[in-house]
Amino acid sequence: MSKPTLATVSLGGCEGCHVSLLDAHEGLLDLLEAADLVHSPFSGDEEIPAHVDVVMVEGAITTEEDLRRLHAARASATTLVAVGSCAVLGGIGGLRNLSPVAEVKARAFGDHVTKSERLPRLRRLVQPLSDFVEIDISVPGCAPETGLIVDALVAAVSGNEFSFGVRNLCDECHREKRALLEHSSEFVSDDVLALMELDEIDPKRCFLEQGLICMGPMTREGCGAKCTAANVPCRGCMGPSRLDYEQGAKTIDALAAVLPAGGIMYMDDLIGTGYRFSMPVSVFPGALDHEGGDDD
Amino acid sequence: MALGVFLSRCGGRIESALDIQAALAGVAGRASVVRVLDDFFDAGVAEGISRDIEEHRLDAVVLAGHSEEHFAKSLSASHLRDAIVAAGVNANRVAAANILEQCALAHPDDVAGATAKARAIIDVAATRAEMAEAVEGEMIRPRSSVLILGVTAEAVVAAQRLLRLGYSVVLADREDGSKRAGRAFEMHATTSYVLDHPQARVIDSARLQDGDGYLGDFRIVLESADGLETYRVGGILLARPDHTEWVSELRQHFRVDVDDAGFARSLDPAMHPAETVDPGIMVMPLRRSDAQQVDKVAAADAAAMALVLKLSHDTVVHYRDTSAVDTALCGGCATCVRTCAFGACSISDDGFSDVDIRRCVGCGKCVVSCPVGARDIVSSPHDYLLGAVRDLARAKVEGDKVIGFLCGGCGYPAADSAASTVAGRGVGYPSSFLPLRIPCGGRLDALYVLEAFKVGFEGVCVYRCREGHCHNLVGNLDMDRRVNLLRTVLRSRNIDDARLRIIDISPFEGEHFIHTLEEVYSTIGGLANGKGGPL
Ligand code: SF4
Ligand code: SF4
Ligand code: SF4
Ligand code: SF4
Ligand code: SF4
Repeated sequence: MSKPTLATVSLGGCEGCHVSLLDAHEGLLDLLEAADLVHSPFSGDEEIPAHVDVVMVEGAITTEEDLRRLHAARASATTLVAVGSCAVLGGIGGLRNLSPVAEVKARAFGDHVTKSERLPRLRRLVQPLSDFVEIDISVPGCAPETGLIVDALVAAVSGNEFSFGVRNLCDECHREKRALLEHSSEFVSDDVLALMELDEIDPKRCFLEQGLICMGPMTREGCGAKCTAANVPCRGCMGPSRLDYEQGAKTIDALAAVLPAGGIMYMDDLIGTGYRFSMPVSVFPGALDHEGGDDD
Repeated sequence: MALGVFLSRCGGRIESALDIQAALAGVAGRASVVRVLDDFFDAGVAEGISRDIEEHRLDAVVLAGHSEEHFAKSLSASHLRDAIVAAGVNANRVAAANILEQCALAHPDDVAGATAKARAIIDVAATRAEMAEAVEGEMIRPRSSVLILGVTAEAVVAAQRLLRLGYSVVLADREDGSKRAGRAFEMHATTSYVLDHPQARVIDSARLQDGDGYLGDFRIVLESADGLETYRVGGILLARPDHTEWVSELRQHFRVDVDDAGFARSLDPAMHPAETVDPGIMVMPLRRSDAQQVDKVAAADAAAMALVLKLSHDTVVHYRDTSAVDTALCGGCATCVRTCAFGACSISDDGFSDVDIRRCVGCGKCVVSCPVGARDIVSSPHDYLLGAVRDLARAKVEGDKVIGFLCGGCGYPAADSAASTVAGRGVGYPSSFLPLRIPCGGRLDALYVLEAFKVGFEGVCVYRCREGHCHNLVGNLDMDRRVNLLRTVLRSRNIDDARLRIIDISPFEGEHFIHTLEEVYSTIGGLANGKGGPL
């Protein structure tokens, strides 16, 4: 019996998810043992073959070309695996949904650049894959933990179910809480600080108690809390643990209960903090009353 | 789920203002029984409803007519509820659809609008009745002891009545014995009867340090010169509602309403002068400076009687309207611990949130603060509130639709009292104002506001308690903080944040309610951008 086939596709993303996959090093051999890689961004062929057992898709839908390629991937795939927060949640690029497309282009390329005919049409909104097609397995993260991607792909090529935890990141974070565990009407910290404002960050203590915004409570577990272990607060890249709970709104609901809401850092970029990876799956995935995509 | 819908004409006040059949048309398709009655509180009505429940095996009941708040206060209304529960419907599946104050009386000049709004309110109540989880009542054998806070003339009279009925009494006073004796000396014979009684204890120079529990079974920790002592009592009588220190100590642990001066307030000064929002706590009505002895005795009698009415049963049922934790979702982030003003949340050894059901008052603040939706409270489940926002948006009323999140402590009763203001001036407020009751301002989830704009409301207002008056201490201020941050979110999506208004109000301020509503309508009427609706 021949091995199942695997293809990987990169849409509107940074290819960081592919890099995370490559990070598996020898682990890749296990994957390639189980499946034949028939197509990838590095393989040269432009179009995905007509039938592939498992297709991994990285990136969000940002252009008409992304959408066309997504439909092609879906048509050829038995199992479609969405990898990365771009694919699952719209991702960091989704923050551009707040501005009109013309403004986005002007910011990126300047006012006086004309666009080549050959470039695909930019859509008004960055959207996750699930807005258009059915997804069989979702692995959020920016980029997702290498192990998670490999596990998901191995499960997919073997025809197994794949799932992981849905609690929040605090469940797997090793940091110690003290003030948060005590009933009190005071906030856990007097102030909200930027990372560089602290001379020293206690590597053992929960960030929130040190006055640093940590997105752990609003973020799904699964990455192994690698940032908080490296003494960096979570930025929320795994997205919310339930998609019907938007991460940005819950950031407000939850953090305003424990930190002084007037905290400058937080107020400065409330949107970027709360919706950094998940704007396109929020109740309002973009700003209202904006014009359509480019060339309109 | 078999649903029964009973609509009261409320003695004719409903049918003159709206089309009853049209109001029931939406719910008719999903209900097993729909009945229109003259008045819920006529003799025999409770028996008739009970028969329907048994015959049609109803699981959920909607009572369309009076306000939800009415059912918490009136003795006749609680009789009706008890009969419904006795007939086999779970207490959490009896929902009031307030079409009297919120529709019929509010929009006397707009029959079509009142009808469409009533239809939406009945639909929402039906959903609430059907989807709310059944709650098990806890059977409590009430303790035959009472704590009286403040040793006043009224306090000793009440104590005497209670002692005569076989209750034991703890009298606690802020001052030392010399001052207290002077105050209560006015009724010398009674005072000596009480103070010398073997079943009475007097604690001088007392402070209330801790407390938990509910009607029938309170645990109270008092601090005095003798140190800390714990008392178990069935009820609490606040003899000094004007003593702001007692009041604020009580408020740290139990729900107590306060008025503008910070004095403890009863449910309704006219009809229920002793009862408070907490069924186990009574207040002595405030004493006027010119009060005669006979007034004091009457006040003491009323308060003692109100408590005895509740404690004299073999068992009382306590429905736990508490917060529940879904450990499949809880990651132990402890946000809820910090949010709960009553110290009811903690993280247990297994790493999940744990609720102390003796301390939880069901305010729902922790539900909002939990970032993963691991919590819910039984009386106002998340799915119901979110669904209600969508259902109300479908009401076929004319004009700019505004949703009002009305806090059960202040906003909702204020909207009810607006009915009498409307009666006075003969002109209603816009029927496109659609009310949704939430247990506390702190229960306002940012998601509900966003959803409201998404489903097409032109404006969102939140009526909440004035500062210092929140049942749940700081639910209102927590909400303010959240809403102010949420404004940034709205602006980022091009929704004018003037469409979102927070309004402070007290329960009896119907006039202020209408006035602020008019302001809301004139504000949003002038806004161009940021109309809701899907992208
Ligand atoms: S999820 Fe992150 S790493 Fe992956 S493509 Fe998107 S931006 Fe790049
Ligand atoms: S540091 Fe962040 S992830 Fe870790 S426990 Fe604190 S809030 Fe949670
Ligand atoms: S700790 Fe947070 S930001 Fe870091 S990888 Fe995990 S989810 Fe992403
Ligand atoms: S519902 Fe209110 S009182 Fe109960 S645990 Fe939650 S915050 Fe505390
Ligand atoms: S806020 Fe939610 S997730 Fe956090 S500890 Fe409480 S119940 Fe658990």
